Amino acid sequence: MIKAQNISHSYDNDIALKNINFEIKKGEFVSIVGESGSGKSTLLSILSTLLNPTSGKVYFEDIDFKDIKDIDTFRQKNIGFVFQFHYLINYLTVKENIQIANENASKEEIEELLELLGIKNIIDKYPNEISGGQRQRAAIARALINNPKVIFADEPTGNLDSMNSQNVFEILKKLSEEGTTIIVATHDMSLASKIHRIVKVIDGQL
Amino acid sequence: MISSALKALKANRLKTTLIYLSLIFSITSIFLISSISNGIISMYSSMLRSDGDIIITQAKISDTFFSNVDINLIEKINKLSNIKDSSAIIVGASPVEKLPIVAVYGVTKNRFINYKLIQGTYSKENEVLVGHSIYKQLQNKNSIEIANKTFNISGVFESSIGFENGGVVLNIKDAGEIFNKSASMIMVNSKIDTEIENLIKDINSLSSKIEAKSTDSFVDNYNQFKIIQISSNAISFIAFAMGLLGIVSILSITINQRKSEFGIKRAIGIPMKKIVYQIMSESFILGFFSFISAFFLSHIILFFIKNSSHLQGYVNGEITSTLALYVFFTSMVMAISGAVIPALNAAKTDPVILIQGNKI
Repeated sequence: MIKAQNISHSYDNDIALKNINFEIKKGEFVSIVGESGSGKSTLLSILSTLLNPTSGKVYFEDIDFKDIKDIDTFRQKNIGFVFQFHYLINYLTVKENIQIANENASKEEIEELLELLGIKNIIDKYPNEISGGQRQRAAIARALINNPKVIFADEPTGNLDSMNSQNVFEILKKLSEEGTTIIVATHDMSLASKIHRIVKVIDGQL
Repeated sequence: MISSALKALKANRLKTTLIYLSLIFSITSIFLISSISNGIISMYSSMLRSDGDIIITQAKISDTFFSNVDINLIEKINKLSNIKDSSAIIVGASPVEKLPIVAVYGVTKNRFINYKLIQGTYSKENEVLVGHSIYKQLQNKNSIEIANKTFNISGVFESSIGFENGGVVLNIKDAGEIFNKSASMIMVNSKIDTEIENLIKDINSLSSKIEAKSTDSFVDNYNQFKIIQISSNAISFIAFAMGLLGIVSILSITINQRKSEFGIKRAIGIPMKKIVYQIMSESFILGFFSFISAFFLSHIILFFIKNSSHLQGYVNGEITSTLALYVFFTSMVMAISGAVIPALNAAKTDPVILIQGNKI
């Protein structure tokens, strides 16, 4: 589904990634692990179209990223993001935050999605009125509203306690079982060990 | 979009209030300077237009205050064909009692009817008619001193031209002695409008020391009006620039604090133009409400200016529908153009910052 071919990336004179080659299949649950500064965030950014590599090619379902004319629409249709911090907009309700990703989503669709994530009761609440775990699940709902083919999660449990971390992990696992490709960047080895495939980044190399 | 913009403005109350205040001050300044300068021009030109189709001044003199025309020309002018009537006026300014500056109008008898009496009678020799705006400040005196000469107050007048209400009117002979001149201007009324150009030629041929012009041409080309207009435009531009800079700087700070909001929007595929529209909408809403507030605030300030005894009625601004429309357009341009740079910066937020460390 996603294929990286000879990817290298550098920031000015600092080399972040060196000649990376690997492939992720549809429905795979992949963990990218590595120490801070190892290059895993750069790799995640490149695979998710947020960053163009200095050299090399990335393919999404055999389409070269560079050939995609409208990257915004492509991202909106195919990719969901979950970050370490929820990045919900404080002045919008949970429903309105989700509608940013898909303004045509009806209240029923959003309710259905929130029910699956166990947070239907917070649909009209503002981010500062709900708990950390609920915020992260609301952020997952925002990532799922467009039925993306791939979800990129950057340290999705980094700000959560162990119970909420487990909940979020279970949600991602369930999504993977339903056919969504999940790519998680984490330095939490206990989380990574539960994932089918681990890709380890050390000093910009796999 | 509007609902979301309103929520964003509400969520950033402090910055919203600062931009709102900055816009109100700027728009109010534009309103005041434009309305007051227009008011001054309008009052003086109304005064000039009120009594004649043709204005005669001293040749090659840039201001009516310095003009000196021989009043005896009136006799010669009245002998020309198609002349309805002629009058003369001296326009001057002098301290009157404790008031540091008061407009003094010396007029021929036939011009007295322009001043509507609300008390007393029209003035004769050694008498003055006092405008109602300064009458109260003179504390109902029976006589006043102008240029070391005492005049009895014969009456109080009211003029539709607010400018004149802050002055005193006396006969042209007395005024001539004060200002040492014959007349500042002679105003001529024609029997037939189409004859004005021919009359101007005839009047100009009477003396090389005078310059006759149609009143419209005189008012349109009056240098003092041009200077007031240019100064007003320059100050309005400065107020506009201050408002613009206020929006750009405060909105830029707000945008910087909302980077995560724009970052997440970019990450989930919201197009840049949509983010630009959002910021523009927020600024447009602020501009609109600031305009409404400034409109009412300007009316209140102008009311106090108009009724301030210290200003003797000389400063009198009026917000016409044309001026309101012009300031509305200016306000919107200010709000929208001030939002362009912050909006583009917001739209260019790189979503990678959401992934690569706690940089927000």
